[in-house]
Amino acid sequence: MSIRALWIISQEKGESGKVRFSRRYPTVESRASRMGRGSYVPVPEDSALLRPLLTDLGLTDPEKPFVEARDGCSRLHRTAALELVLEGRQGAGAALWPVLAISQGGLILACLPLVEAPPVPRPPLPSLASVSQGFSLLAGLQAFLSGSGAGKAEVESRLALLPAALMQACPLGTPLETPQLCQPLPPPTVPLAGPQKQPAWKPGVHRGRALVSVAVSEQVRSMQYGNRARTDLWDVYGTVTCKCDLEGVLPTVTVTLSLPPNGSPLQDILAHPCVSSLDSSLLTASSVDESDGSAFSGPYKFPFSPPLEPFHLCFYTSQVPVPPILGSYQLREEGSQLKITVNLKLHESVRNGFEYCEAHLPFFNRGQLTNTDLRVTSGQLEVAREKSLLVWVLGQKFPKSREVSLGGSVSFSGAGSLGPVDPLCTELTAYIKLYFRIPDVTLSGCSVDQHSVQVYSSVKPRITTSRELISSEYYIWNSTGEAPVSSGPMRL
Amino acid sequence: MAAPNPEGWPQRVAAFSCSPSHFLSSTTPEDFLSDLLQDLKDDKVSESTKVLMLGPLQEHPTILCPSPQVGEQTAVSLLGIFSRTAHTPKSVNLKCHLMLSIATVLISTSFVKQGVKVAEGFLDLLFQTAQDTNDQKHGGMFRPLRAIACDCLREMETCCPGLLSHKLEALYSLKQQEMTPLHQAYTLLYGVALRNAVHCLTLQKDVMDGDLKKLLASNEGFAWKATEKPLELVQLTTMSQIPVLPSNVETKELKSVVSLLLEECYLLTPVTQAALLRELTQVVSMVQSLSPAIFKSQLLRLFGTVEISLLHSTLQMKGTFTDSLFTAEDENFLLKRLVGMAQHPLLSTPQKLFYIECILHFPENRPISSNGEESLPVLVTPRMAASLFPTVFNDSSTMLSRLNILSLVYLEDDEEEGIGYIFDHLMALHKIVDHHGTREMTTTFFRAVYIFMQNFYLNEKYTIDLIESLSELYRRHYTLAPNLINLVDSTQKLLEDSSWPTDLLKALQMLIVELPLQQLIHQSLYWHLKVLGRVAKEEQASQRSTVRFLLNLLINSSLCGLGDWRIGNALLSVCRNLLQHPNLDQVFIELADLLQFMMHSFEDVDIQDHARFYYTLLTNLSKEKLSGVLNMGTGESQAKIRSLSSIMAESEELSSCLTVHRTRQPVLKLVKLSEDGISKPDHSSSGPEDSTPDVDLLKVYQKQFLNPEFASVVILKYHLTFAGEVDALYHKLFCICLHFEQTDSNYERVSDVSVPCLIYDRKPCVVSLTLKPWRPYPTVLHASAIFTTEDGLSWHTQLDPIPIGFPDLFLPLPVPVHWSQGSREQLFHQLWKSLCPEESSQSATSLFCFEVGERSLREVIESSFHKYLVSKQLNPESYKVLLFLPPQFYVLLKIKNSEDAASVSIITDNWKLLPFINSYIKCITDYSADRTQ
Repeated sequence: MSIRALWIISQEKGESGKVRFSRRYPTVESRASRMGRGSYVPVPEDSALLRPLLTDLGLTDPEKPFVEARDGCSRLHRTAALELVLEGRQGAGAALWPVLAISQGGLILACLPLVEAPPVPRPPLPSLASVSQGFSLLAGLQAFLSGSGAGKAEVESRLALLPAALMQACPLGTPLETPQLCQPLPPPTVPLAGPQKQPAWKPGVHRGRALVSVAVSEQVRSMQYGNRARTDLWDVYGTVTCKCDLEGVLPTVTVTLSLPPNGSPLQDILAHPCVSSLDSSLLTASSVDESDGSAFSGPYKFPFSPPLEPFHLCFYTSQVPVPPILGSYQLREEGSQLKITVNLKLHESVRNGFEYCEAHLPFFNRGQLTNTDLRVTSGQLEVAREKSLLVWVLGQKFPKSREVSLGGSVSFSGAGSLGPVDPLCTELTAYIKLYFRIPDVTLSGCSVDQHSVQVYSSVKPRITTSRELISSEYYIWNSTGEAPVSSGPMRL
Repeated sequence: MAAPNPEGWPQRVAAFSCSPSHFLSSTTPEDFLSDLLQDLKDDKVSESTKVLMLGPLQEHPTILCPSPQVGEQTAVSLLGIFSRTAHTPKSVNLKCHLMLSIATVLISTSFVKQGVKVAEGFLDLLFQTAQDTNDQKHGGMFRPLRAIACDCLREMETCCPGLLSHKLEALYSLKQQEMTPLHQAYTLLYGVALRNAVHCLTLQKDVMDGDLKKLLASNEGFAWKATEKPLELVQLTTMSQIPVLPSNVETKELKSVVSLLLEECYLLTPVTQAALLRELTQVVSMVQSLSPAIFKSQLLRLFGTVEISLLHSTLQMKGTFTDSLFTAEDENFLLKRLVGMAQHPLLSTPQKLFYIECILHFPENRPISSNGEESLPVLVTPRMAASLFPTVFNDSSTMLSRLNILSLVYLEDDEEEGIGYIFDHLMALHKIVDHHGTREMTTTFFRAVYIFMQNFYLNEKYTIDLIESLSELYRRHYTLAPNLINLVDSTQKLLEDSSWPTDLLKALQMLIVELPLQQLIHQSLYWHLKVLGRVAKEEQASQRSTVRFLLNLLINSSLCGLGDWRIGNALLSVCRNLLQHPNLDQVFIELADLLQFMMHSFEDVDIQDHARFYYTLLTNLSKEKLSGVLNMGTGESQAKIRSLSSIMAESEELSSCLTVHRTRQPVLKLVKLSEDGISKPDHSSSGPEDSTPDVDLLKVYQKQFLNPEFASVVILKYHLTFAGEVDALYHKLFCICLHFEQTDSNYERVSDVSVPCLIYDRKPCVVSLTLKPWRPYPTVLHASAIFTTEDGLSWHTQLDPIPIGFPDLFLPLPVPVHWSQGSREQLFHQLWKSLCPEESSQSATSLFCFEVGERSLREVIESSFHKYLVSKQLNPESYKVLLFLPPQFYVLLKIKNSEDAASVSIITDNWKLLPFINSYIKCITDYSADRTQ
């Protein structure tokens, strides 16, 4: 359960990659060579790793339309682990496997887990314990380097802190914890060891005001086609985030999520490891199953002992009966003009109070917007001519009727001219994308009652709870054009 | 390399880490290591710098300590530094790094053995450090050191399994006592030691009832004996057979130990929990009388976790214990969870991809086959998998991964509707590619087609449609030719007996040959020819239409007149494949026409030549011979590929063959042959007395120089040999061409030297270097070589610079062989006279005196000037020496011995030579003086 080496590579668009950090674990390597026997492939130097890795990720030779090593059909990229063919080595000894890599925002994090199994025939990935450890480590590193919205300069300074952080989190190739940004040194005066062991994931104890806050944030996705042949789709997924400032080594808290009567059950619940026990009924509802009315629908109890930092107590998904905003979008080509009709309707069960609500209407492959002749029944219209984008700002409230519409015509400079292009949105294939946030609402109805939060601690804490609904991937497709979907089973 | 100042360390360490091999090409590991160790001992070097300096030892110990001995010495030095470093909170970080470095060096040089003092000492140190539970003795500031000590102990135990097997009781009580977050380190250490100890026990013969109990209560020294015959390092769970303890063994104590560990497991970080669960799974699997039900209490918590490592260890538990821990209901439930998580919108993509793999390798309670191949668990139904159906908005890996699993689902189910869904998805991708999708989308589309073919190649309804769609795509996007060719190659390899790849090629061929001429613009033609070239390799495809198309194209377009070499070459490459086609007879005449037309009309000489060559081959060789000649390249040695490149098909290997590679390190060197081995044109042996009648010797002599080539060159001889130990790849070199470059303008360009071959372990090769000086001053030549290795690759290597010293340029007096001693002396006098400064503005005289040591003057002269001696007299001892330097310079010496000093009168016609001759004489006389001391 160890990793042999770790790399952090920066790769900006249009530039060649650069190894920013690497760490090798020779004691693990010595095990690798003992176990690998004839098929052992040593970890190459950074420079020899870089190009094969970037090639496998499809990041080399951007100017060449086809490179076999990068684009070949049989080099399938559906696994989570890469096989790197090292240059200058031949035969069986040339491939480094399994290299795990995740990339985000110009940074590529990669590691090579130890294969603790007979190397021939190649063992399946899930049989290797080190693989999930490697993924955990990479995810931890990712959070360490670019977590909480770190900018470029911040990433640089965190890279400099990395060796010290790894000394704690993974000194000898076996990941022990996620790398910590601030390493709270143990207090110089050690508190007398109490009767309770302090959790390893909680390096200190909180002192000060007691506070528990629980936030339920739901995101709703939707694909609406306005077409009888295609079922409209939507779903919702939620995150419960907690921040608990409580004294004591192991205070316990129980958070209870509840649904309104007849609410559809929370599905695919994933709990944070600090949750000490789970009732089996919580886990039964799954998006994979046909949901039936008999399923358990709460209350959902999560007993846990909180870590010091804010954390995601649980994730869930839910199938709700209606989308919050139902829309229709129709485009018609009339001569050089494009006639637009849009209707949006806010469902009556959803609170009419937005923090923001915008509908974006992008146009592709038509050049730039030249003329617009549009009317809206509510809100304002902003036109970004160069981007060929209409932004319909609906503001904080829908009108009493809960319906708004947009109509009129637009014309463009023509397909050959400058303007946004998209291979998906050709001819009349077009969409509206909605962006909104409604505070104090969840679509599933899931909520945390302030009084249901139980805290077993010496001091009575202040308890706050909140809810919100945010749009994510909320599309309304033009019903007169072809939507880019296959006829496959209806899923998002 | 001189020891640099401590400020240079960050750069040096960075340079080393960046590329050790490159860094060590300018120094040796020994030097670097000794520099490191020296400055680590230096109190003036800051602690943060020292931490940095330990990096190379922590990451590349085997490079710095190539032998166990060096490893041992290094560990001893580091341990010394550790004990000398003050035990203060300020130094904790350095001490941690020192501890880590020592462990790394000892383990990676395989030096954790009994009787190795430093290993034993270090283990004691680790154990002592670990014993300060709850920071009672040293306080909380030293907690990091304790953490590292535990980690080092665990690593020692992992690499030498069983080492701590007699200390279980001690480790257990340490783990129990610790209340700070460090209990995690002790717990994991105990877990690893426990697993290994039980494993050792299973390998023992005659295990008694109480042995396990005894093992848990053991508190002895390090079990060096266990490390003598090391255990298999592979995870027990991946072994085909897990070793087990006999069922009569007393397990009560073990049960309570495991229960307690599981109870407290919750206090560990998720990754460590996962690691501990794996250790315990292995322990329980080896002790069969211990029921796996002991894990039951943890299962629900694990099923519901968001942590990838915890879920993964649960799956491993499932694989190990199957239905003795997991009911059929559990299995169904777990599988559903996995499918749900494989598409959970709140999990990261790599995590989801991993879960899809976990589904395909799901440890079923009753597996139908367990060959390690991907297979679909019986319980996964199309309904269940429907949630994994890909969309065009998925990223490439997710899409392909989902497509793969869905294909398996529908294949299993034999559901026509499902295949239809997948085909529709392909068509949605097709549409995007058709609308100029990104390169990534294009690649994904072709891979998706590959996956589709892999699973549904028997379903003609769709595969025929697919050919049509792909041809349509090609009609509009001819730049997709390489993608299509790759698809054909890959599917052909995958589906050996399917005709689909050939059918696709035939469709493309038909499409191309039917294109109207005016559509064959220059750019597209190149791609069409590529496709036709590939079609021509297909035995089942008729080639007549191709040949007619090409002939028609050449006759009715301006191509021949334009004479584009690239197009010509592409045409020829189609022809080449046609020449190899088994049904060549069917197109024989047309192909001959085509080649003949090209050789007459194509306005490029090279293309004409090749066309003629092919034509000759076609019309003169039998079919067998023809394919014999053309097949030579493929699969044969690469050396032949090179020589036959003109009739070779293009391939990536070929381009690597035609590239000159660079060697990383010098492979060759030139070693100068000693003076005796050099045969300079010998003019010194004199002819019979008085063979030269009364003539003006000087005139006769000077007349020789009317020929500009006369005595104008110096020939130096070298051994060409290998530069030390070189890679076996370079043990046989051929066609070595040495190239020299002068560093100044005093010499004429040195011509290249060729050596046919050089073989390791055989005699070195003698190489003559011909120098033609304009001005005979010392110089340095740069040298490089190009050669071919046995595998046919060409290499370029740099040699060490070749110094040309002043004495290398001396030639004896160039006079005809038959000249007598007397004539030579006479010439010497005449030259001397003519060189007197009054006669020439360039000439100069000088006087040099030196002390004659014990070594007589005669010896000095004989050894250095033997060949250039014109006369010698014994009493009084005097010598005349003439040094001729091409093109035509002289240094004349009269050397006299008087009393205890010798004097050298020097005259030369080029005063610029004086400093060189002075330093040379000083050198040889110093040398003689030194030798006598």
